[in-house]
Amino acid sequence: MTEQVDAAVGQMPIGARVHLAHAVVQKLADDRAIDLLHLKGPAVLPGLRDAGRQSSDVDVLVRPSHLHRLVTALESVGWERRTDFATGSVFAHAANWWHDGWGWVDVHVSWPGVTIDAEQAFDVLARDAVRHSIAHRDCPVPGRTAQRLILVLHAARSGSFADVDDAWTHADPSEQDDVRRLTAELGAEVALAAGIGELELHRGAPTYALWKHFLTGGSRLDEWRARLAAAPDARAKAALLTSALWVNRDHLRMELGRPPTRQEVRARQARRVRQVFGEIARRDGRA
Amino acid sequence: MTRYRIADDVAWVSLEGLDSGRIPSAYVARLPLGPPTTLAGSACVVWLAIADGGSHDEITQAAAQMWDTDPEQIRGDVLTLIAELVDVGLVSPD
Repeated sequence: MTEQVDAAVGQMPIGARVHLAHAVVQKLADDRAIDLLHLKGPAVLPGLRDAGRQSSDVDVLVRPSHLHRLVTALESVGWERRTDFATGSVFAHAANWWHDGWGWVDVHVSWPGVTIDAEQAFDVLARDAVRHSIAHRDCPVPGRTAQRLILVLHAARSGSFADVDDAWTHADPSEQDDVRRLTAELGAEVALAAGIGELELHRGAPTYALWKHFLTGGSRLDEWRARLAAAPDARAKAALLTSALWVNRDHLRMELGRPPTRQEVRARQARRVRQVFGEIARRDGRA
Repeated sequence: MTRYRIADDVAWVSLEGLDSGRIPSAYVARLPLGPPTTLAGSACVVWLAIADGGSHDEITQAAAQMWDTDPEQIRGDVLTLIAELVDVGLVSPD
């Protein structure tokens, strides 16, 4: 028996590490009165997802006004920021932290597809939150209706529809009605439609092209056109245009596995400009 | 008589889907600093017995029942493991 005990400290499966990391994040939140909700992976309530599926990272949605406290807490125990909110995704909704022992944490301040104010959206999603045991620690997670919506929106965004059957298709009509009511409250109608095969009902919506792009793919230029169309105002469009040609240093760092040098950034910058203008030229029939 | 339980600041998970091969495993850590630790095989069985709380004798009995063995054969090892887990703060004496 002693030999088995000695052999016990070994490689830990990613799935186990994710469970423990959720508990670590919740401990940090409890100690600092940070409002957050655990999402996806072990935070999904029974019946909403195939029990055999495992996550490779921790996803949390934090009350936006508590973000700075969560960042301080994560970094106090050794998490290192690897992407920021401007570069983490199309929606500027999440940033990533890495810890050598606990792995990845994706911190979300909003959820792709939700269009109302992020602080207000957190209140709506947290309204029916329940305590769910992850690694034998009580963690707040959205209620079943909100979880269905979150899973469907994630499917539409990621193009991976494995969760839609359990979260939507197998839901009874009254549960689907509940999801639609919550969707309307959050201004997420177009995104939900993209996740459940009803996107064409929203052809006139400003975000239609963006969700269509997520579903069907296309060039980077198509993506930027869609993002511009979805930007809610002139300021947002200007910010997008400014950032369009700049290299994402966070992604380049992850690709290289180390901070990029200035020379590497310049080289990537030149490639990106050539790429964008090459696409424009091809569209215009000049190449 | 001293009783033992999992410490208040510990998170742990033991699920069939997370076991390494057919070896039962428990993954445990103190919060928030860890380190994460794996207890496999008989160590996992003892951990699951500790999760219900109890004295040395009760934990030994429970572990022997789960392991389908004679309590006397494992008593010494169980006592040693409990002492080690107390030392690293994963288990608390009441």
